[in-house]
Amino acid sequence: MAVGVLIALGESLSPGTYTDVRFTWLHLPAPPPGHPGAFPNGFSLVMGTLVDPLSALMLVVVTVVGFLVMLYSIEYMRKERGLPRYYAELSLFLAAMNGLVLADNLLEFFLFWELVGLCSYFLIGFHYERPAAASAAKEAFLVTRVGDVMFLLGIFLYFAVYGAKGPGLGWAASGFLFVQGNHAFLAGVPAGNPTLLTVAGIMILGGAAGKSAQFPLDVWLPDAMEGPTTVSALIHAATMVAAGVYLLAVTSVFLGFTAFDSLLIVALGGITTFFAATMAVVQPDIKRVIAYSTISQLGYMVLAVGAGFTMVGLYHLFTHAFFKALLFLAAGAVIHAVGTQDLFRMGGLRKRMPLTAAAFAIGGLALAGIPPFAGFWSKDDLLAGVYSTLGSHPAYWPFFLLAFATVFLTGYYIFRAWFLAFSGEPRDPSLHAGHEGPWEMTVPLVILSALAVVAGLFVYLPGFQALLLHGGGVAGIPPVYGTTQLLLSAVGVSLAGGGILVAWALWGSGRIVPTPSAAPAAGMRRVLLARYGIKSAYDWLGATGVYTVARAADFFDRFVIDGAVHGFERAFGDLSERMRRIQTGLVSDYASYVVGGLLVVAALLLVVAPYLVGRFGGG
Amino acid sequence: MSLPEIALALLAAVAIVTAASALLVRELVHTILWIGIFFVDLAAIYFLLEAPFLGVLQLGVYAGAVTVLLLFGIMVTRKRIFSREAATGIGVAPLALAALTVVVLATALDELPSGNVPIQAYPPTALSTDLFGAHGPWLLLLGLVMLVSVSGAIWLVREGRE
Amino acid sequence: MTALPLGGFLALSSALLGVGLFGILTRRNFVLLLIAIEIAMNAAILNFVYFAAFAPVPALGLTGQEIAVVLIGFAATEVAVGLAIVLALHRLRGSINVAQATDLNG
Repeated sequence: MAVGVLIALGESLSPGTYTDVRFTWLHLPAPPPGHPGAFPNGFSLVMGTLVDPLSALMLVVVTVVGFLVMLYSIEYMRKERGLPRYYAELSLFLAAMNGLVLADNLLEFFLFWELVGLCSYFLIGFHYERPAAASAAKEAFLVTRVGDVMFLLGIFLYFAVYGAKGPGLGWAASGFLFVQGNHAFLAGVPAGNPTLLTVAGIMILGGAAGKSAQFPLDVWLPDAMEGPTTVSALIHAATMVAAGVYLLAVTSVFLGFTAFDSLLIVALGGITTFFAATMAVVQPDIKRVIAYSTISQLGYMVLAVGAGFTMVGLYHLFTHAFFKALLFLAAGAVIHAVGTQDLFRMGGLRKRMPLTAAAFAIGGLALAGIPPFAGFWSKDDLLAGVYSTLGSHPAYWPFFLLAFATVFLTGYYIFRAWFLAFSGEPRDPSLHAGHEGPWEMTVPLVILSALAVVAGLFVYLPGFQALLLHGGGVAGIPPVYGTTQLLLSAVGVSLAGGGILVAWALWGSGRIVPTPSAAPAAGMRRVLLARYGIKSAYDWLGATGVYTVARAADFFDRFVIDGAVHGFERAFGDLSERMRRIQTGLVSDYASYVVGGLLVVAALLLVVAPYLVGRFGGG
Repeated sequence: MSLPEIALALLAAVAIVTAASALLVRELVHTILWIGIFFVDLAAIYFLLEAPFLGVLQLGVYAGAVTVLLLFGIMVTRKRIFSREAATGIGVAPLALAALTVVVLATALDELPSGNVPIQAYPPTALSTDLFGAHGPWLLLLGLVMLVSVSGAIWLVREGRE
Repeated sequence: MTALPLGGFLALSSALLGVGLFGILTRRNFVLLLIAIEIAMNAAILNFVYFAAFAPVPALGLTGQEIAVVLIGFAATEVAVGLAIVLALHRLRGSINVAQATDLNG
């Protein structure tokens, strides 16, 4: 229904003009010039809501997936304890995510950005009694925090660059408002400091990389799979992790990136796409496979935004949200049924859970990019778009090739998971016999399956297309299938199909008997399972670097601060011990304190005050 | 020295001596005697100051009622009426504090006009006109406060006696 | 008309206050404490009376003698309350020695 509303919204737009709806809740007007609190450029703070094509697209994703996940949670979480907490946190997350999408300026955006991060922390650590979940929550919080600090620095830097240009100048002067055409306006103004602008872009990119788990801040997302699968589907697949891409899109639409920043974004997207996919190849954990594929797909979107195809990136975000949520919820159904996440212990579930198997297969096909499933249209358009920029930006070549190679890997790893889980015979007799869940679980799967099939074709619906065309960075909308693009599509589909075939040959044909994942890994597989050692490097950094600093801080705390505190404590303790003794309980003694006090007052009045008046003159 | 001055000096000396004796003797019944004399002596000073109404009041309330009340207090709290208090040492600190207070008060005497001041007549009729005329309501209010205090005292005595 | 030195009266009430204060600070028997308080109180009343005699112009419409009347009444009330405390203390502790009633000891 929401999709229908979206399409209707798009159809109501008159072609060629930008349309948005803006409400301002709160406006702190700039102090008048000369006021000590006034900014030189008349900056003022605003809070409001803005519905423009970008946020409309995101709103649909958030609300549709959010609703389906809530529905699915009813059964999936039924036996959990702490459900009020779960639903409260999930609702808070949805509210914060909608707030983020509807924010009409960068500061408000940041506010909600922090809120969704907080909810993510809560929900990853939902099973906080499990050490792995607790530490994963902390890890997610800390790693994204690195990105958040960079984001905030980016805001400051943009303010420094544009705010220094004088009053009345667009974005900064209007309180970081998202104003369409601001990008072009700012581009026409000579930049105060181009280097600073580039650094600001890098900082924004850092924020996005933290939230969207891009290289090298990608370590937290696979570990975040410790949270309930519903949370993974909603937060760590469809919505929150997409917020980083959304930030990049918003920034590129309203602020614009410098050429160097664009290259950096493209590089980051390409590298992340490929390396995350390689890590997914060997994962034994069904949720982690999907988690790595999320990182990989987010890399595609980052790549697209960096190459200037903002709306194509968001289009891929849109389709990805549906098929990735589908994959997660299908995986959740499997986990719910058999009670393990280890692919090597599953097997043969196709017969008992045909609907889930079909849903997972549809999600996998959409992810791999097989036509006519949703992922094909957006990914194909995305890759073709990046390809079209290669002529003017030869530096994009290696990252384009990495992204293209990933198509093969994607097909392979997702169907490896499918074959391991659903085909063949059950491998572990100790597991529960799988069965389909009740309607609360199957209905979301069916709806998302339908969306995973058709969502990619929305771009050909006039209304939806119009909506996309009303955003900024509309290159590649609608997809044009010329000779080059058809050729690229053909190569892409063959690569994905090849990946699926290899997966079938290795895991689906029964030629290899899957070994239990407990066997020690060797060679490349070990490197991949160790995530290229990045996590260990972080751990080492934490263990040695931070620990050293912590030791120093501890020493300082113990001897300097605590010393002072305890010194005061001891001094006042002694003092009070002495003061205690004057409380004899004897009325005569209290009477003498009264008289003594009176005498002191008398002394002050009769001796000290006249002396002071005589010495310094009376009033 | 005129006759009133001599009278004042005598009465003042008696007041101080009786007050001090009342506090220093170790037999409590003697204390009551001394304090009774002290109250009578003060009544005499009020007469000297041409405040006969206050003198009578002092005799009635203080020398009469209060003295009897104090005696009563001593009687109900001891087994034998004529028993000696345990000797209480005179601490240096309380003495010094009291003496210092007197010294501080005495510094004010320097600033007074020396010599005799005539006493203004304020007959009891004037006192009663002021007290029960213009200030009557306030007197009633204060009487009410006293009534409450005395009720509290009665409650305090009755409390715990079932 | 009789004339008397104001300073002498003030010296008298100061001395009486000193005596009363000394009693308050040193005596341990509650009745003696009450007596000491009465002495100090009488010193104060005395002050009101001779200020009324030497400067009869009423301040705030109240003469010193009026205040003295009220104060005498108050003093009687105070003795009544004090004796009630004496009785309560005696019932609670079996003694009216304030050195034994040190519940406020810190």
